Parts: sequence; structure tokens; C-alpha cells
Amino acid sequence: MQDFKVPLTADTTILDALHYIKAELDGSLTFSRSCRHAICGSCAMNVNGRNLLVCKTPLTREMDGKGRVTIKPLPYLPIIKDLVVDRTSFWEQYQRVKPWLIPPANVPEKEFRISPEEVEAIHNAETCIMCGACYSSCQVIAMTKEYIGPHALLKAFLRVLDPRDAAPGERLADLSGEDGPYRCHTIFNCIDACPKNLNPTQAIETLRKLAQKRQAFEVERAERQKTLALPVKSGE
Amino acid sequence: MYKNSGFISFVLRRFTGVVLVLYLFTHMLVIGSATQGAAAFDAMLKIVQGPVFKVMEIALIAAVAYHAFDGVRLLIVHYFNVIDYRKSMFYAAFAVAAFFTAIGGLLILQLLLAAPQG
Repeated sequence: MQDFKVPLTADTTILDALHYIKAELDGSLTFSRSCRHAICGSCAMNVNGRNLLVCKTPLTREMDGKGRVTIKPLPYLPIIKDLVVDRTSFWEQYQRVKPWLIPPANVPEKEFRISPEEVEAIHNAETCIMCGACYSSCQVIAMTKEYIGPHALLKAFLRVLDPRDAAPGERLADLSGEDGPYRCHTIFNCIDACPKNLNPTQAIETLRKLAQKRQAFEVERAERQKTLALPVKSGE
Repeated sequence: MYKNSGFISFVLRRFTGVVLVLYLFTHMLVIGSATQGAAAFDAMLKIVQGPVFKVMEIALIAAVAYHAFDGVRLLIVHYFNVIDYRKSMFYAAFAVAAFFTAIGGLLILQLLLAAPQG
């Protein structure tokens, strides 16, 4: 752990401070960042024991009484250098849940028709930026990298609940193994860590419930997809 | 290490779970001594009715109560949409467990104080 002193203004973010250190104090400091407005998910780090995006966090918010801020790399992941961690297991688990949409056989000429209730049921899960804050706050991930992890389960939840997806049953069957939602210990760290205020625990609970009535859910989805591609009538 | 109420509940749940399994073995050892005759059983009971074991029984009540009510808390999380109240629910489970531990503990202490010494 190294100490650095950085100039402070009211709008200095933690990322600004890291940039200052790299430019002025220690050029060898290594960290990852890209967009600087909380959408690329590169700059998730552990600040004062909490995972967050340093680009959107003001330095003043995290300072203790003596004006100190402790920045560490994301926990439970192999450190490559300084604040950069190896996210291989994170992406491998993401691939494992087939995060892409499997479209239905009858794709409409124009848009799919999805009700506001169906969109609401997804709980904004599509806004996940894959920053890894939830993944590296998870106590189960700390114990085993075999667990799919909150990020990938949130994505699986998004696809399973998406009325356009043609294979929810297959997805739920794949998730029913020992590394899926049943491995979650309901510790809630993922919710507390998410910089986008998403709720992976709720997604995991939903997957658990749906996995128990998988066949009925498959039938329901097949039925739903019959009306999904109907043309939108004017005036609706 | 990522510490918050969820982490504390997880550690306590695991710890009390291990304690309960260990207790089960001890329990079987004590009860199992009955197969070696009345004298052996009485001798064993005399050991486990001492004050040290009584205090350990209070700790056992705490472990059982916490483990049980933490389980109830997780069932509530599973069946109802109450994740927003996760921290309050953790403290509630803790408080209820503490309440039952206090009642059980007082009863045991009463027995301990009332029992003829030696």
C-alpha cells in the first residue's frame, strides 16, 4: 500500500485523483478506466471496503476524518498489477449462461410487442454494465470460482424473463446444477455493491422459483410467443 | 474481505451450523453411553450436568435460535418480495434469537442455582 497526496476540489472524483497520481506522482500506477461516465464498467474498484465505480464517486464522499481514502483492487480476483485484476473467470461464467437472445421462429417484420408489465418484470436488468462490482463482492465467489456469479445470473434472468427468448426452459435446466442460483447464500453483497442499483439477489430468487416450474413456464412462453409477432395496429 | 450485515449473517450461519453438527455428535456420545449400562450412563450425565456444561448449553440455545431464525429470514426473502428490508430483517432475526436465548438462558441459570451443589 502506498500513500499519495492529491489536490482536492469539490468535483474531484476518485478517478481524477488516480489520474493525477499517474500523471504527476507515480507514472507506474496501473488502473483500468475508459468512459469516465459510469457506462463502460472498467473502473470498478474497492474503495474503503466497498466496491464502486471510481469515475462517478466524488473523492469527498469517501474521505474519512483525516481526509484519507483507501483504494484497493476488486477483492477475490487475481491481481495483475496495482488496481488491475484478472477478470477471466468473470467472463467465462458470463459466457456460460449464453447471454445472447435466442430469437423465436416467427420474427415480426417490425417491432416485437412487449407489454409494460413484462418490461417492468425485468427490473432494469438490461442496464447492467458488467463492471464486476457484484461478482467480486460475492462471498461464494470468494470460496469458489465454479459458481456462475451474480452478474451472469442477472443476465440469465434477463433472458429467461424476456418474452422474445425462445429457450427459457433450456436456460433454466442449464442453471439447475450445483453452480447455479441454488449456490447463492443470500448474502446481499451484490445488491450493496451494484453501482447501477440493480438487484441480482432478486433475480437469483426468481430463477430459483422459475426453475421449480420450468415445464409450465416453457408452455406459457410458447403460448406468449404466438402473439409476440403480431403486427402493431395503427392507433394502439 | 467484504463486510456488511449480509457477511456477518453468513459467517454466523455457517459457524452455528458447524456448532450444531458438533453438538449432535456429543449428544449421541452422551445418550449412547446408556448402551453400556446404567452406571456408565449416570457417570456420563454427572459430567454434563456440571456448571460448565450448563453455560455451554446457553451458548447452544443461542446457536440453535440464531440458526433457526436466520433460516426463517431466508425463507421470507425467498417467498416474499422483501429484499429492500434485508438489513432490518437481519437485525430482527438477531433480536428474536437474542430474546429466546435470554429466556432459555435464564431458565438454565435458575436450574443451575436451584440445584444442590456437589
